[in-house]
Amino acid sequence: MSLEITLLPPGQGSQRVTVAGRLDTHTYEDLDEALAPLMTPQLHSLVLDLSQLEYISSAGIRSIFKARKTLAAHGGKVLVVNPQPQIQKVFDVVKAVPLNDIFGSTAEADAYLDAMQRKVLQGDDSD
Amino acid sequence: MLIRLIVPGEYARVEDLNASLEAVLNRHGMARAIRDDVRLIVEELASNAIDYGGEPAAGTAQHELSVDISIEGDLLHLEFRDTGAPFDPLSAPEPDLDAEIQDRAIGGLGVYLIRQLAHRITYQRIDASNVLRVSLRIPQPESEP
Repeated sequence: MSLEITLLPPGQGSQRVTVAGRLDTHTYEDLDEALAPLMTPQLHSLVLDLSQLEYISSAGIRSIFKARKTLAAHGGKVLVVNPQPQIQKVFDVVKAVPLNDIFGSTAEADAYLDAMQRKVLQGDDSD
Repeated sequence: MLIRLIVPGEYARVEDLNASLEAVLNRHGMARAIRDDVRLIVEELASNAIDYGGEPAAGTAQHELSVDISIEGDLLHLEFRDTGAPFDPLSAPEPDLDAEIQDRAIGGLGVYLIRQLAHRITYQRIDASNVLRVSLRIPQPESEP
């Protein structure tokens, strides 16, 4: 089984990507390649929808770390949606993503992004 | 013994190895959670052996990887052998999990994961092979049949 990556239409400073199948030694480079062009300074939130991801190994965690590091350099974040039990277990063991950045559903992640967006607009007097 | 599989140390064969193990464990009624643990352990150890095992012995193209699995009561024993350079994964330093993301090392997580999943784990260098023995507790079904 391989990995299926789908890029959804970008939002305001956010981008949702669904990752399905197995994210491991055999497939992590596909994810790295798919994410690389998205990693612009304008991207504040990369939302990884893991509902259909069945398995992750340390190679997959490294891809997520790479994305987190790249985005953190300009204050951006990786948010994770609906990790399945094996993925949640691996995330917990290696503390792959802060718990506050893991959401149960895309609706929850969207609500969080909307709230952030409102905060930015309210706090921004320059335009 | 439930199964012993031996494959050449190359990435494409690791997937075959895991597919076979998965089928055997499934047939023996092992739950998804423990099948996933076995897959992870084999993938991590095989990747390490392929990436860091050094040159294979003269006259061979690749290192050899072998996996033995047996079940004893509520324990699953997995023995992983590779013919790579001597390497005791249990001597690897633990990663700092609480560092800020910018300061976190990107490697070292595979061995750490195995150590956390294992009920018991031992390493021995036997002849020209690294031998890692990992025992996993088989979760007892509570509600499922």
